[in-house]
Amino acid sequence: MLNRLQRWLETRLKRQDSQTLTQRNVYILPTKAGWVFLATLMVMLVAAINYQLNLGFGLTFLLGGSALVSMHQTHANLRGLTLHLKPPPPVFAGEPATLEIVLTSPGGPRSGIGLGLAEGRRQGMAWCDVPAHGDSGAKLRFVPPRRGLHHLPTLVADTNFPLGLFRAWTVWRPLAQVLVYPAPEHPALPLPVALSTSGTDRPGRVGAGGEFDGVRAWRRGDALRQVVWKKVARTGELVSRDTSASSTHQLVLDYAQAGPAGDVEARLRRLAAWVLAAERLGLRFGLKLPDHELAAADGELQRRTALQALALWRMPSPTP
Amino acid sequence: MTAASLNNSPAAWSSLTQTGRQLAQWRHWPRERRDTLFVLAVIGWTILPHVDHLAWWCSAITALILLWRAHLALHDGPLPGRWPVLAVMLLATGLTWWHERTLLGREAGVTMLVVLMGLKTLELRARRDALVVFFLGFFLALMQCLYSQSLLTALGMLVSSWGLLTAQVLSNMPVAKPTLWRAGAIAARSALLGLPLMVVLFVLFPRFGPLWGLPQDAMGRTGLSGTLRMGGVAELANDESIAFRVRFDGAKVTPPAEALYFRGPVLTHFDGLEWFPSLAGAIGPRRGRPQPPELRLLGAPLRYELLLEPIRLPLLPLLEATTERGGGDEGPDTLASQLPDWGLWQGNDLQWHTDRIVGERLRIRTQAWLRFELGPDRASAALGEDLALPIGFNPRTIAWAQQTRQSLPDADARTLVGAVLATIRQSPFVYTLQPGDYSGRDAIDDFWLARRQGFCEHFATAFVVVMRAMGVPARVVTGYQGAAPVDDDGWRVVRQSDAHAWAEYWQPGNGWIRADPTAAVAPDRVRNGRTLTAPRGLMAGALNRVSPEMALRLRLAWELLDNRWNQWVMGYSRASQFRLLQSLGVPQPDWTDVARLLVGLLSSVAVAGAAWAWWDRRRQDPWQRLHGRVVARLQRAGIPALLHHGPRSLATLLRLHRGAGADGAALALEALDSLRYAAGGQPLPGRRWWPEFLRLTQGLLNLPAPAADPGLAARSG
Repeated sequence: MLNRLQRWLETRLKRQDSQTLTQRNVYILPTKAGWVFLATLMVMLVAAINYQLNLGFGLTFLLGGSALVSMHQTHANLRGLTLHLKPPPPVFAGEPATLEIVLTSPGGPRSGIGLGLAEGRRQGMAWCDVPAHGDSGAKLRFVPPRRGLHHLPTLVADTNFPLGLFRAWTVWRPLAQVLVYPAPEHPALPLPVALSTSGTDRPGRVGAGGEFDGVRAWRRGDALRQVVWKKVARTGELVSRDTSASSTHQLVLDYAQAGPAGDVEARLRRLAAWVLAAERLGLRFGLKLPDHELAAADGELQRRTALQALALWRMPSPTP
Repeated sequence: MTAASLNNSPAAWSSLTQTGRQLAQWRHWPRERRDTLFVLAVIGWTILPHVDHLAWWCSAITALILLWRAHLALHDGPLPGRWPVLAVMLLATGLTWWHERTLLGREAGVTMLVVLMGLKTLELRARRDALVVFFLGFFLALMQCLYSQSLLTALGMLVSSWGLLTAQVLSNMPVAKPTLWRAGAIAARSALLGLPLMVVLFVLFPRFGPLWGLPQDAMGRTGLSGTLRMGGVAELANDESIAFRVRFDGAKVTPPAEALYFRGPVLTHFDGLEWFPSLAGAIGPRRGRPQPPELRLLGAPLRYELLLEPIRLPLLPLLEATTERGGGDEGPDTLASQLPDWGLWQGNDLQWHTDRIVGERLRIRTQAWLRFELGPDRASAALGEDLALPIGFNPRTIAWAQQTRQSLPDADARTLVGAVLATIRQSPFVYTLQPGDYSGRDAIDDFWLARRQGFCEHFATAFVVVMRAMGVPARVVTGYQGAAPVDDDGWRVVRQSDAHAWAEYWQPGNGWIRADPTAAVAPDRVRNGRTLTAPRGLMAGALNRVSPEMALRLRLAWELLDNRWNQWVMGYSRASQFRLLQSLGVPQPDWTDVARLLVGLLSSVAVAGAAWAWWDRRRQDPWQRLHGRVVARLQRAGIPALLHHGPRSLATLLRLHRGAGADGAALALEALDSLRYAAGGQPLPGRRWWPEFLRLTQGLLNLPAPAADPGLAARSG
């Protein structure tokens, strides 16, 4: 019941990537220690009354005054801070995603601020201090449940500073989303055999003494393994294999070939592993999913596009 | 590392040198170690003032535990498990029971708290465990003021609290290794900011009486107390603070010191170790009508005035025999009228009881008869308690008394008393403030027949035991005896060191008669009111030798400061509160007025705080507010203005949508932009700018609405 209420309250918060803490979104309540402290003060007060101890009154009121001041200090420790979330890089399912949060203080120094997931209940909190008129960063990790584009979990920033009698906290729903690739299969199966797209089976090399099929001048961005080092050594000129020409043997990673029918996720995981393997080998590859096709290409961009397609892909609804 | 486990073995030696090396590198200690040792030091400091009042085993156990914990912290040793800790706790509980005969009450409570505090340090694993230590620490700090409320105690307590708060701050700074100094500054800041609240509460918190009757041991063992045990008065005799001052009307006939007996608790019941007041005598008005004393007054009354310091006892130490009967018309006001809303009564043992501890300075005018006869002149069953001796205690003294009694078969009580006092005078009894330890089971045997060194308390109790063994009803009376010579204002000072114990025996036909056995051995003690001086502290003695003049000046300055403290802080009472309220214009204040003032003050502060919070919530940067108003105005005129548009873009938009007609407003916006953003610009335009802008845009509002829906445009723009 309480959880549902809490979730409902959370959904009423606006999602934003940058949150400035004001009176409106900083909450404060006594901690358990605070209640125990109050009880101690009460006992001390009764003792002071019963034994007519003026010094006892003095001590009790001194501590009471400090406690009340500490309530304001705890609140002020959060108030005014700006929390800013850096967009999180994509991750593979099952791996922890790292959230980088920057805390900026417009005024005095802040101490002992904990950042954590709302679900975690103060477990795995990241603690940081913020210098006066400066900022400091904190890193949080969370493991997204499955592939896809996910909203980040609700975050909590809280503090008990200075006396631990009160806890001030704020609840923050970041706007940013994290892209979660399918977890690559491990151990990975070997890549499927490359298919010839043109139909004619042209060999990659011409006769002996001939040139490589497709060599071109080196361009920025060509991987080192694409460089034809023998030729470089001979001519002193930097040349690369022309992969666009050499890939007549087109590698297409096909959903249909990626495992037994039925287990969608397992296939996607195998495809993800293949994408990684292909990119590592510097191969050109394409991706073929039901309802979605990715033209062959290579490089980091292709890898990301492919993985993103795998992450976001949904089984098309069967046509009637 | 404890001294006991240290021997000359190489292992112990290397451990010691290692400890020394660790201590030398204190700046490089890891945070955990430094924090733990700091907390241990603070705990040690907090417990220190209690050591004087604790049983030796309690101090020893706690010191060992703290040292052992420090050793573990220095060597990163593992903490003990649950069982050893429980075992020590059980041992301490058993010892407390054995020593105090109870687990409740103040003494036992403090003993247990101190041991518990020590043991808790053995569980200081997580920072959270430290919280219990803090709260126990604050409570123990408060307990210090049961012993003393002097300026020194206050300073020590302040250091304790600061240390505890600092440790608490440290436990809430989880990042890196903040310096102790920084944490201490943060704690001090909290306390200083809380100071105004503390002052308001201290001044205005109503001082009402105790919430419930005080437990038996609440009267304390320092100072006069409701009970007496060997050693109790020795502590008191070292205390040179003033108990009260007395001034007699008609200074010419000022009575001699040996005639001045100020009566405190009368102790009748003896359990073998400790003396208690008679159960019958303790009946106060709450439990029925007190029996008035049977007094036969002789001679003329002596009027006097008593200025009582906060002696922290539930009694008035009035001169024997002070009574309100027979005062006549000329007599002073009754005590009850001088102390309104106090509960006052005189027991049939002549002692004046109060229903609360005297925690403020009181001024009393009353009268006493120095010559009087007290009590029943015929034997009654009530005297049985004054004859009772616990069975099995002090057998040799009792045997001695019975033997003496048999040698004087026909003697009456008075003769027997004379014989015993003569024995005291003739035997090698010595009056001394350091008689040594008499805490054994048969302490009176030890004193009366063996060591024969003691002070008033030993003489009085032994005398009473001897009299009872002879079949003469007798009891111990405690109080103050003697007074300093008259000062310039006519006052005679009675100090805590004038606390005294004497005896009374019962003689058929005469009632109770005072007998002071101390006078038999040390007549000076009674005649001059001059006590033995206790040896000085080491520091004071050394200073005195080096520079007596400076020592004197220092002492005078300190006494002045201490006097101010006592007068303004410790003497602050209900009467002072009422005086304050009267000066504020309340004609006849009572404590509800004080409470009302306090509640009013606090709630107005709270309302002010709430108002500030409300204001802070809506507070906006003035520039943002102006900008928002400009954008809203333009939107009403149908311009698709948005909040992120600067004034210059707004001007462009205005020209774009309204052409030349909006030139004036556009120019105003551009002027605003350069005012704000140009080098050396101002943060805000003058007051005139906004009305001017309203006027310029007035014409725009009246124009027919543009083709596009302004709301839509605003959203899509």
